[in-house]
Amino acid sequence: MSHAEPRVDAMKPAKPGPTRTAPPRPPDGFPSQGNYRAYLAFAFGGFFLMTVSFLVLRAVWALGNGEAAWNQLQGSFQNPIYVIFHGLAFLWLTWFILRLFRLFPATQPKRFGPLKRPPDAVLTAGLSGVFVVVTLVVAAILWGAV
Amino acid sequence: MRRMLLVLEPVIWLLFSAGMMIGGLLLPAWALVMGVAGPLGIASTATSYDHAFALASHPIGRLVFLAAIALPLWGGAHHLRHLWLDFGGLKSDGLVGALCYALALFGSLAAIVAVIRL
Repeated sequence: MSHAEPRVDAMKPAKPGPTRTAPPRPPDGFPSQGNYRAYLAFAFGGFFLMTVSFLVLRAVWALGNGEAAWNQLQGSFQNPIYVIFHGLAFLWLTWFILRLFRLFPATQPKRFGPLKRPPDAVLTAGLSGVFVVVTLVVAAILWGAV
Repeated sequence: MRRMLLVLEPVIWLLFSAGMMIGGLLLPAWALVMGVAGPLGIASTATSYDHAFALASHPIGRLVFLAAIALPLWGGAHHLRHLWLDFGGLKSDGLVGALCYALALFGSLAAIVAVIRL
């Protein structure tokens, strides 16, 4: 009576090859349904972060070039397109940071060292309050009120 | 290129998270005062050269302006790279990611020069 040799590794492919994985595909409803719109709007905040940063860089560079360059920049900032862009950037980035703070509690551990973690609403309200205070202080300094 | 981006991921993530926070906290006030109120003539002091130069050339001012320029560039670059990935750009991730971070690096180096030459 003959015994068949048991196959030790039943999952082993007949010949070696690259691991097969399914190609990535977007989830159902992407990008128009559910939370995907807010998710994408949040990610698009990156565009405003970059463009406003480059405009700040342009302003600091103009400051280094002297008063004439600075006044020329201020003149170009009076273009309605720049004003509308900055208004939109203000609204978008405000929503961006408040959404980040709303999502923040979900990323935190149950305890902060020896301290028990505050309720999510307290964390979100505290961080949003910090944003309001910092924005008011920075705006007052830029405005020349401080 | 993509392999190098994976190796640099922890550093990029650090700059990205700092950029989101600093950019989100500082840039809305800048956009409102210098981009809207100033040009509309509501905040005339804000747009005066002497006031702006005094703020930006102070040692603390230089650091704040450097942080407000350089860090959000990395936050924005990482966001835009991942937006590209979300829309199926995996095959071109090496090129697009490198371009995004190169832009952020260029802006960061220019920001260092800009605050030094004040």
